[in-house]
Amino acid sequence: MTDAIVVSDLRKSFGNIEALRGVSFVVRENEIFGLIGPNGAGKTTALRIVSTLISPTSGRVEVFGHDVVKEPDKVRGILSYLPEEAGAYQYLSGMEYLRFMAEFYSHDRAETDRMIKNAEEISGLGERLRDRVNGYSKGMKRRLLLARALMMKPRLAILDEPTSGLDVMQAYHVRESIKEYSDKMGVTILVSSHNMLEVEYLCHKLALINEGVIIAEGTPAELKERYNAINLEQAFMEATQLG
Amino acid sequence: MGSLTSLTLKEIKELVRDPKILFGVVLMPLLLFPVMGSAIQVSQQSVEKAIVTSTFAVYTEDSGVVASTMLDYLETNRTVTVIQADSLTQAIAQFQGTTSNAMVYMPSGFSDNVTAGVKGNMIIYGNVKNMNIAETQSTNVVGTLVNIYSYYYSLARIENLLQAAGEAANPDAIRTPISINYQSIIKGTVLNISPDAIISVVMNQSIMLPIMIMVMVMFAIQMAATSIALEKEQKTLETLMTLPVGRLTVLGGKLTGSIVIAVAGAIAYMIGFGYYMGSAMSFTQFSTVNLGSAGIGIQPVGYVLLGLNIFVTLVSALALAICLAVFADNVRSAQSLTGILIVPIVIPAIILMFSDIEMLPPTFQWILLAIPYTHSILASKAAFLGDYWTVLRSIAYISVFTVVVLYAAAKIFSTERIITARFTSKSLSGLFRKRQE
Repeated sequence: MTDAIVVSDLRKSFGNIEALRGVSFVVRENEIFGLIGPNGAGKTTALRIVSTLISPTSGRVEVFGHDVVKEPDKVRGILSYLPEEAGAYQYLSGMEYLRFMAEFYSHDRAETDRMIKNAEEISGLGERLRDRVNGYSKGMKRRLLLARALMMKPRLAILDEPTSGLDVMQAYHVRESIKEYSDKMGVTILVSSHNMLEVEYLCHKLALINEGVIIAEGTPAELKERYNAINLEQAFMEATQLG
Repeated sequence: MGSLTSLTLKEIKELVRDPKILFGVVLMPLLLFPVMGSAIQVSQQSVEKAIVTSTFAVYTEDSGVVASTMLDYLETNRTVTVIQADSLTQAIAQFQGTTSNAMVYMPSGFSDNVTAGVKGNMIIYGNVKNMNIAETQSTNVVGTLVNIYSYYYSLARIENLLQAAGEAANPDAIRTPISINYQSIIKGTVLNISPDAIISVVMNQSIMLPIMIMVMVMFAIQMAATSIALEKEQKTLETLMTLPVGRLTVLGGKLTGSIVIAVAGAIAYMIGFGYYMGSAMSFTQFSTVNLGSAGIGIQPVGYVLLGLNIFVTLVSALALAICLAVFADNVRSAQSLTGILIVPIVIPAIILMFSDIEMLPPTFQWILLAIPYTHSILASKAAFLGDYWTVLRSIAYISVFTVVVLYAAAKIFSTERIITARFTSKSLSGLFRKRQE
């Protein structure tokens, strides 16, 4: 299996604040990799660097062999990013929004139509896709955005807190869509969350991050075993105290 | 569909479908100006009607022939109320109780003075009750009627004197012995038009250009600021910045979309404003002088240069607005931030609308000339007068400024500042605290 993402000694400072302090991890192709930690741990900063939005202060990130700083255009061509607080254009309909996004990745109309069909399946929004986004509930918006992120079958999907703020039903639907899509399409997914149960269900491999440092890494089973914990929440607490 | 086209269409859809923008930028000028124009027209028509139907009062202490014929003359032209009173004070008191706006007072000895060749003095009282235009205009109408009577009376007197002296001459030529014909020389062509009339026409026509440019630039700034701020407000900017499309293409899409809406807004504004001018100014007598033969007015080359001038002006203003709007979190703060730009655009436009740059004090001239948008206005005036070198010079100056601003905008777009830049009241107070320390 090839390396999808290689992060080496990544550091990022905003003024006097050090958001990342030497983070390193590797994500293999077709893997769902979870970056988990509390709010302010540095998850979003790490994902923003991988998705070429911001530059690292030092360190190196490669996505399928492309350096995110030196070759950002190549990296943007193979990844799809879903930010935590993402929104959609409120005066476009769901369908118009998907078509607008699909056209950046497709080469012809047929390919665009295929992507939109994928998005319709992933979102499960049906006829509501013809309505303007400003009439959508929070859950519907998130499903639309997830569909947008996955419809073009990217080699790498980066999902920042994909179920944040959603009710149980909507969160369940989003999680199921991610799992099903990844299994079916073999897409590599880097996901961040502070919901330990969610990542345990979704991820093949995890990195626990706290205060800008990776404190533990492994499969959910390995981590639970290492810290003699009954779930990841307990494992995280143990890892934090030991760290 | 190309990425730039996709982005531009998205921008246009987003801006046009926003009710605030659709109403404020496109529909408002189309509705507001015609309503304002119609209101002024109705008001003016009422004033005209009031003047035409106004009545006059006359109080005369003189019963001579001049006073009598004057009274007859006034009565044939308007409804006249003759006031019977024992004194002027009583007459004034009675006059105030009438609906007349003006009262002609001819004192005792008025006719004798006039017939004896001494000036006859009369007083016209204006009854200013409601402080409106109709009242003063009515007073002027009486004055005009008296002047007409005075003119013909003097002609008759001159004719009589000439007959008595046995001389054959034109009484009008004796009364006004010198006649002046004003002509103007423009670019070597002699026109049988007074300089006043030319300036009046040039002002009427060239004033529209600075207004149009100013309005279009202000609309464009609002559009560009809103376009960027909407991305931040709707949390769509991060997604947009990770798409496989060049950051400069994203910038280009924003600029193009904003220009399209700004031009639509400016056209709506000009249609509305044109209707306003047409209806509000319908009562004034505009000169119909044709200055095209003297090379005044915009020729085809001028139109091309003017278009280029407006284009570079728009692009620079948009790029500047985008640079500022990047620092705002939402539409409201973006519009407040870009509101700063209105000052260097409006001030030169207003000053140059009514005066020439060379008439201003040197220091003031240099300050104005340093502002790029001054050159947009100068170029529009110069294009009107066929001074293409000034237009080219102005375009060159604005273009250099535009390149600098576009470079700054491109820099912001190609770095993480587009995501991380924030300009808040907190950061401002922090800056001041640092300065104080």
